[in-house]
Amino acid sequence: MIGYYISLAIRSLRGTPILSALMIAAIAVGVGASMTVLTLNYMMSQNALEHKDKVLYAVQLDSWDPNQAADTANEIPWQLTYPDAVALLRSDIPTRQVAMHRFGFTVNLDESDMRPFTANTRVTTRDFFSLFDVPFEYGGTWNKEADSAAVQSVVLSKETNEKLFGGENSVGKVVQLNGEPFTVVGVLKHWNPSPKIYDLNNNPFADSEELYIPFGLHRKYEIYSWGNTNGWTSSAPEGAEGYERFLLGEHVWIQFWVELDSAEQKEAYEQFLTGYIREQKEQGRFERPLKFALSHPSEWLVLNEVLGNDNRVLGWASLAFLLVCVVNAVALLLAKFLRKAPEAGVRRALGASRNAIFTQHLIESSCIGVLGGLLGIILALAGLTGIRALAMGQVDQIATMNWEMMLAAVGLAIFASILAGLYPAWRISRTNPSVYLKTQ
Amino acid sequence: MLKMHNIRKSYRTDTIETHALRDFSLEVNEGEFVSVTGPSGSGKTTFLNIAGLLETPTGGQYLLDGQEVGNLSDRDRSRLRNEKIGFIFQGFNLIPDLNLFDNIDVPLRYRGFNAKERRRRIEKSLEQVGLSARAKHLPAQLSGGQQQRVAIARALAGEPRFLLADEPTGNLDSLMARQVMELLEFINEWGTTIVMVTHDPDLARRAQRNIQIVDGQVSDLRQSIAQPEIASA
Repeated sequence: MIGYYISLAIRSLRGTPILSALMIAAIAVGVGASMTVLTLNYMMSQNALEHKDKVLYAVQLDSWDPNQAADTANEIPWQLTYPDAVALLRSDIPTRQVAMHRFGFTVNLDESDMRPFTANTRVTTRDFFSLFDVPFEYGGTWNKEADSAAVQSVVLSKETNEKLFGGENSVGKVVQLNGEPFTVVGVLKHWNPSPKIYDLNNNPFADSEELYIPFGLHRKYEIYSWGNTNGWTSSAPEGAEGYERFLLGEHVWIQFWVELDSAEQKEAYEQFLTGYIREQKEQGRFERPLKFALSHPSEWLVLNEVLGNDNRVLGWASLAFLLVCVVNAVALLLAKFLRKAPEAGVRRALGASRNAIFTQHLIESSCIGVLGGLLGIILALAGLTGIRALAMGQVDQIATMNWEMMLAAVGLAIFASILAGLYPAWRISRTNPSVYLKTQ
Repeated sequence: MLKMHNIRKSYRTDTIETHALRDFSLEVNEGEFVSVTGPSGSGKTTFLNIAGLLETPTGGQYLLDGQEVGNLSDRDRSRLRNEKIGFIFQGFNLIPDLNLFDNIDVPLRYRGFNAKERRRRIEKSLEQVGLSARAKHLPAQLSGGQQQRVAIARALAGEPRFLLADEPTGNLDSLMARQVMELLEFINEWGTTIVMVTHDPDLARRAQRNIQIVDGQVSDLRQSIAQPEIASA
C-alpha cells in the first residue's frame, strides 16, 4: 500500500501545484536556513581526535600573574612558556609528547624558476605526527635529536610537495627555508582537521601547516611565534638579552600535548607536574596557587569555546524559524486535506480504515518533506556559499555540507513535514464520511 | 442478511438532541431487493449509513450476515464494509482526478488483491456495465448515467453480498434512471441483496419489498409495493 499511497501523493501534488509549491517552499526555506546554521555548528563541533580522546591531553600550567588570573575559561594560560615546555619534554612518563607553535618560512628551490613563497610552518617535536595520527605519504618524522639540536630537516604537506616537486617522492631532496637548506625527511598525505584542534589559538578553522620543522631549531634561526605570545611580565633570567630574553621570558606561546595511555600513567604525570611546579615555586616562579590542567581533546574544544554561545543561540533560533515554517505548512496542509475531505469520505465508504486515511495523508506530507528537503539542501548550499564569500576564506573548511548533513537535511525535512502533517492527517481521518457522501 | 433490532440514533449539539432513528427494527433476507421510502428527514439516509457501517447506532442491535457489528473496531468495520458491502450514491461519488480504471481500483486496493486480480475484476465489472472502452477516461468525460454505471461497477468489483443504493437515480433523467434500475435488477438476479433508498414511487414499486420510514421508525414493515398508497407516500 505504501507505493499506492506515494502514487496518490504525487497525483495530489500535481493536482494542486500552487498550494503544493507553497508547502514545499515553506519546508525548504525552514530547512535551508536551519541547515545552514546547523552545518556550521556541526562542523565547528567536530573532534578530529575523538578516537584518541581518552588518552590525549592538552597541558596547561598556571605560571601567570600572581595578582591576576589568566583570562581563560579555567583561568590557566592556554599555552606554556618555552622554558616550561623544554622542562616538560624531559619527562619520560608520557607515551608521546609534543611541544609546538606556528611560524612562517620563505620557501624556494635551488635552480628553479618558482617564485619564493611564504609557508605556514609548524615548529614541533617529532611525536607530533604519531600523537595526532598524521599520515605519511613518503618517509617519516625526523630523529629524536632534532627535538633539541639544530637539525635542518623538514616534513612537507601533500599540497606543498605537489607545489614544489609535482607530488613525487621528495624525501632526501633539499628545499630552501629563509635561504637555508633543509632536507625533506617526510611528505604527508592530505591532512587538514577542522577545527584544528592541536592549535586552537590561531583560528581553529584555518588550514593545517604547509611545512613542519624540528623544535630544536629555535636558537639557530631565532624563531618567534606566528601566534599569541602573551606575557604578564617582561622579566627574564639575568643576563638574557635579545632573542634569548624572549625565549626564556614569561611569555606563553608553546602548545603542549601528551599521550597518557593509562590511569597510572596519568597519575604519575600529574605528580610530575606537581613536583615541577613546586620546584619552580622554590625558584621564585609560579607564584599563584599550584594549578595545572590536563584536558582531553573534547574538553579542550569546549574550554576554548570553539562552538561559542552565539553559535548555539543561532542554532536554536534557526530551529525556531523552522518551527514557524512548520506551523505555516500545517495551515496549508490543513486547507489542502480538508478540501479533499469528500474523497476521503468516498475512500472510507469503499473500505479504507481511519488508519489507512491517516497513513495516506501522512505519506503525502512526507513526500512534501522530501521535496522540501532537497530544495532545502540547495538553499543551505547557497547559504554556505554566501557565508564563505563573506568570510573571505576564513571558514572554508566548515562552511561546507558533507553527505551526513545532506541526509540530515532530508531527515529534518521529512520530520518537519510529518510533524506538520500529523494534525491535518488526523483531522481528515476522523471526519464523518457520511457527511461528504451525501453532499458531494 | 441484515437484521436490526431497536436501533436508535441521535445527534446531539449543545442545546438540541435530534433522534434520527427510534426503535428501528428491520430484517432483510439474502437476495432480497428492498426499497426504502419516506419523507425528507425521516431517517432514510441515517438508516443507510448505519447499515453500511459508516455510522454507529446510539443503541440497539445490528447483525450483518449473522455478525454483531455494534462493538467492532474501526478497522474491522472497514474490512467488513470493504468485503461485504457495496455503495451506490446519488452523486456518484467518483474521485474526479482518477480515471475509471483507477476509481474501480480503489476498494480493491484496500482489499489487498494483487495487481493481476485487481485488473481482472476491474475489466470484468467495466464490461458488466458496458464501459470497457472508457477505462482510461476521467469521470468528467462521461454522462451522468455513465458515471452512475461506473459507480455500480466499482461497487460490483469487490463482489459484495450487500448493495446499498442511496437514491441512485436521483441525478439522472428518466431514460438513464431506467437503465440504471434495470442494471440493479440484473445484479439482484445474480443474488446480491439490494437496499435502495428512493423518492421515486415508480422505482420503489419495482423492488420486491418496500419499507417506509417516518420519523425514524419503520411505519409498515410488510406493506406490498404494489399498493397505490405506498406509491403516494
